[in-house]
Amino acid sequence: MNIQKNAPAVDHVTASVIQGALENIAIEMGYKLMRMSYSSIIRESEDFGAGLVDIQGRGLAESAQSTPLQSGPIPGYVRGILKTLADRGESINPGDVIMHNDAYAGASHVPDVGFIVPVFYKDELIAFSATTAHHLDIGSLTPGSCGIVDAIDAYAEGLQFKAIKVYEAGKKVIPVWHILRDNIRVSDLVVGDMEAQIAAARIGAERLVELIDRYGKSTFQAACDNVMDHAERLMRQAIAALPDGTYAATTFIDGYLDDPDPSRKELPLCVAITIKGDEMVVDLTGTAPQVPDKPINMPLHGTVDIAIWLTVRSVLLDTAVHGHIPVNDGLVRPIEIIAPVGCLANPIFPAPTIARFCPGNQLADTVMKALAGVAPSQVSAGIGNLRVIAFSGLQNSEHWVHMEIFEGSYGGRDGKDGMDAVDTLYANTRNNPIEDIESHLPLRVDRYELREDVCGAGQWRGGFGSVREFVYLDAGGASIEGEGHKFPPWGFRGGNDGGSAGLRLDRTNGKGGELPSKVPHTPVDAGDRFVCVGPAGGGYGDPLLRDPEMVLADVTDELITIARAADDYGVIINEDLSIDRAATEKRRA
Amino acid sequence: MKLIGVDVGGTFTDVMYGDTETQDVAIHKVPTTPDDPSRGVIQGMVEICERFDVSRSEVDHVLHGTTIATNAVLEYKGAKTGMVTTEGYRDILHIGRHQRPQHYSIMQDVPWQDRPLVQRRHRKVVAERLSPPDGAVLVPLDEEAVRGAARELKAAGVEAVAVCFLFAYINPAHEDRAAAIIRQEYPDCFVTTSSAVSPQFREFERFTTAAMNAFIGPKVRTYVRDLEAAIADNGFRADLHVMGSNGGVATSAMVSDRPVLTLLSGPAAGVLGGAMAGEKSDRKRLITYDVGGTSADIGLIVDGQFAEATARDTWIGGYPVMAPMIDIHTIGAGGGSIAHLDAGQAFRVGPQSAGAQPGPAAYGRGGTLPTVTDANVVLGRLQPGNFLGGEMNLDAPAAHKVMSEFAEQLGMTVEAAADGVLTIINANMANAIRSRTVQKGHDPREFSLVAFGGAGPLHVVEVARDLGIPEVIIPPYPGITSAAGLLTTDLKYDAIRTEFQTSGDVDGDRLSRDFNVMRDGLAAQFKIDGLDDAAIAYQRSGDLRYVGQGYELRVPVADGPVDQASLGDVFKTFEAIHTAEYGHVFEDSPIEIVNIRVTGIGQMPKIELPTLQQGGVLKDALLDEVPCHFRLDGELAAMATPLYARDKLPIDQVFEGPAIVLQKDTTTVIPPGAKATAQRGGNLLIETGA
Repeated sequence: MNIQKNAPAVDHVTASVIQGALENIAIEMGYKLMRMSYSSIIRESEDFGAGLVDIQGRGLAESAQSTPLQSGPIPGYVRGILKTLADRGESINPGDVIMHNDAYAGASHVPDVGFIVPVFYKDELIAFSATTAHHLDIGSLTPGSCGIVDAIDAYAEGLQFKAIKVYEAGKKVIPVWHILRDNIRVSDLVVGDMEAQIAAARIGAERLVELIDRYGKSTFQAACDNVMDHAERLMRQAIAALPDGTYAATTFIDGYLDDPDPSRKELPLCVAITIKGDEMVVDLTGTAPQVPDKPINMPLHGTVDIAIWLTVRSVLLDTAVHGHIPVNDGLVRPIEIIAPVGCLANPIFPAPTIARFCPGNQLADTVMKALAGVAPSQVSAGIGNLRVIAFSGLQNSEHWVHMEIFEGSYGGRDGKDGMDAVDTLYANTRNNPIEDIESHLPLRVDRYELREDVCGAGQWRGGFGSVREFVYLDAGGASIEGEGHKFPPWGFRGGNDGGSAGLRLDRTNGKGGELPSKVPHTPVDAGDRFVCVGPAGGGYGDPLLRDPEMVLADVTDELITIARAADDYGVIINEDLSIDRAATEKRRA
Repeated sequence: MKLIGVDVGGTFTDVMYGDTETQDVAIHKVPTTPDDPSRGVIQGMVEICERFDVSRSEVDHVLHGTTIATNAVLEYKGAKTGMVTTEGYRDILHIGRHQRPQHYSIMQDVPWQDRPLVQRRHRKVVAERLSPPDGAVLVPLDEEAVRGAARELKAAGVEAVAVCFLFAYINPAHEDRAAAIIRQEYPDCFVTTSSAVSPQFREFERFTTAAMNAFIGPKVRTYVRDLEAAIADNGFRADLHVMGSNGGVATSAMVSDRPVLTLLSGPAAGVLGGAMAGEKSDRKRLITYDVGGTSADIGLIVDGQFAEATARDTWIGGYPVMAPMIDIHTIGAGGGSIAHLDAGQAFRVGPQSAGAQPGPAAYGRGGTLPTVTDANVVLGRLQPGNFLGGEMNLDAPAAHKVMSEFAEQLGMTVEAAADGVLTIINANMANAIRSRTVQKGHDPREFSLVAFGGAGPLHVVEVARDLGIPEVIIPPYPGITSAAGLLTTDLKYDAIRTEFQTSGDVDGDRLSRDFNVMRDGLAAQFKIDGLDDAAIAYQRSGDLRYVGQGYELRVPVADGPVDQASLGDVFKTFEAIHTAEYGHVFEDSPIEIVNIRVTGIGQMPKIELPTLQQGGVLKDALLDEVPCHFRLDGELAAMATPLYARDKLPIDQVFEGPAIVLQKDTTTVIPPGAKATAQRGGNLLIETGA
């Protein structure tokens, strides 16, 4: 093994120690934000991020607990505010705290508000400490910040913050806080969460100054370069290990299945990955044009880039295989992204983007499908996408809002079945305990189980989805963004496709029924029930090659029926739960 | 009273004898017998009595630290377990919080799916449903369905059953009734309920805790029964107490019923042992630092009280466990940690460990990878002739060889590479300590660091300096601190109840009533254990959060009726703790009392370590002088370093580093700039110069 040719300006030992210290700071930020925050979307779902960024807007470290779709974009937020402030001729001063959610300048989408604390060392700006979090409400047209699927442009999505100072030189900018309180529903919770974000970002800044104090500025900066170069080498080696070539894949999103306009539904996402040496180009040409008046467009910086980076590293530098991999700017340097302007993955302002969550995860899945062509043993078959519901209501003129993220499932893998009923790819949030929901909200969770007998059959079958039912105890409303009602997760290497998702509203007035994957705010009555059916991941490999004992185990566990064992797997199982080997052999022949 | 403490570790079973009246103590070590740890326990007890002339029949109590429950979980070797749960929620154990353990991985395992505590075929659902806030019955319990489930599970050969119903923490009636039916149908079965094991909200975590209790129940019950029988068969009349994760002991009956309470048995005893050592030096704010071959355990003691982990932070083998546990932070850093260049050519130490086999190259058992131990040998800090009191020889040339090869890859001298290994592992350990102190609002500079385990005293001064900690304590027997800790324990039981009451609208009478009911429950248990009322103390506390938050902070609640004044104090304390923990307070926000707790502590007789007598002069303790590498003003240099025998050090006489103190169970490194004193109380106290 060779050491890099240019002698590093910092020794290996110090670089390693400083890298550990940077990660430790980011972890502390995340820990504090998660524990202090008010809304379940942050503290239970962990839909937040925390990270440290250098003066050039390069990520140095991110907190381990947060969700990738929140920590990943943080460097982009910083680059966004740097550009916006420079364009306006504003300077950054010690004691400033900058709020940002501009989806056309680095932010992931408007509810994910970033708070950025500039870090000054001896009066010199040297880095940024930042947190992001998904807020319950951002002043959109209807309650909650998800399921705003009918926003016609960026202005309809809610408040836009383009590098707004909420503290200036240490002083709270009071009018801004009044605007927040007056324009956001459940503002006690949202503003409390924002304060928690600022507190956590300030702690990061404080710790970073202590760290720099300890090693000196030049050693610190040299160590940061070293740490990023290290991550870059890891990614380059992983790419170089793959054969050169172009590997392409297409998947489709539902869009608006109930819309008469064909340009708003069944939209292709196209990915062509070209490997050349130790570099990778991810070209999204062919992806459907943007939908100008529906918010399923994906911000290029903050959603599209994160979806791509996340999938590439999860496949090529899988932490279950490679161990801990430091997360910083170096990891993404060898990856170039091409997205034609005006497509779903690179929309033009003011095209709305607030409901980009599911399309973005579908893009991540498409990237995995493309990688399947070159690294077939490192991918899963198609994943099941997610769904988010904003439950809300009005009690004594006060809003309540609860956002729940509904899990998908993974496709089968080489040598392993898919993970059942989990968040997939760029999302990794947590559900809310039933006992917490029912103790604090006028909702009842009437069922939470695996969805039986729907599965992507394969030698390694896809994961099972879930079924969850929510009943309203008082009148209220709901808005919903989901995906995957039309297109099931893809099977791979002879595996069957998985099961698509579904959603039904049973109304006490008898007027309920099946719903599409996107539902703008809808009033509901006490006793109305959402039956939320999650997707089942695709199968991996020929189902006829599945070990009959594993098929029997699934039947014994009442995950699949005896009939399905025969139909999908050619395994004949007797009523007494034994395998009819002769009949199985015959059926499989 | 005559006490024996026995702590079973991975390699050795440590035994300590103490007489609370004469203050005699004795220590002994025997090899652990992994196939049946009770053999080693009995052997150790018998041998210590023989060697130190103690009559077996006169021993009053045996206090035991065991990994039997922990290993059953880690090795996934428990009972065939069944579950009876609420209809509609069969897969709570399987879906969990729908979060993957790793963000960036396709091929990862999900422990609760890949290694289920209860297979789906053995998860039976029955109609019943309770609802908040008062546990009202929405759907009555279908008793016939329970009976049917019990019969099916019995027929399937299930050995243990967990009964897990939603909202049972508010109203245990359905769970209790279902458990009774199952016991009727299947008397030999180990039956446990979620409300008995952990009556607090969050169904996945509570159900998992109950399922784990069932999973390990039969094994622990058998172990305890057999050990008690073996103790009696060998002529002892002592009763058996087992160390719990909460820092107290429990009776063998309690542990047989709730083995999930013992998952951190050994490490908890270590923290107590560290606390006892700190007390000998009159120190009340301590960080315990226990380093072995593969991992380092860190605990915190503030004003004589050890920190307890919050319910959401306690995990074993990848499963969440909601049981009271001492807050012990474990990282993969120890003497066997392997130094390597990763694929991106960064210098890393650990978390992979060479373990005991093959172990570090210096062990001469065929290890070919450079470890922390090898680095200590190269720098002269571990002495080949004097390792483990000379009982084990070290192969210095082998250590040099592997470290030289590694140094070559780095383009460094062998000493610089070895020094780098120590710098990185020490920084990792310091980060771990930071996460328990700085990150939780404690300034480590106000603490003393108590180091034990085979490798703790080797590294401790440099770790302390990294954190600005001025003082380090090395207990008299650093290698058997857990066994010593066992002899300082009390009986300790916890009761918990979820309340969900909000400031401004608190029903103080209900809280008072609930506190009293919980206290009465504990008192009844102590009565069963045969304890005198006078020997029992109770502590009350609450888990509080701002309304809307998801993480609670533990706040003490004073004795007496709960009224406006006492509630005001509780809320004020909460805000102070919130500020200390997070550096922030939310002015005028309503506060929720989520859980209330009562901890009962039943005094047990304890030993005191004897004070040291010997006078003498430092010269008498000098064994040798060797060249040893230390960093001085940033430069690594060989310095003549005296080696002292710990048991010959003169009392209260300061000596300066560089120096190395040798004893049978560990080696203490005192670098240049540090000063050490052997104290009359038995500790070695080191001023780090930080």
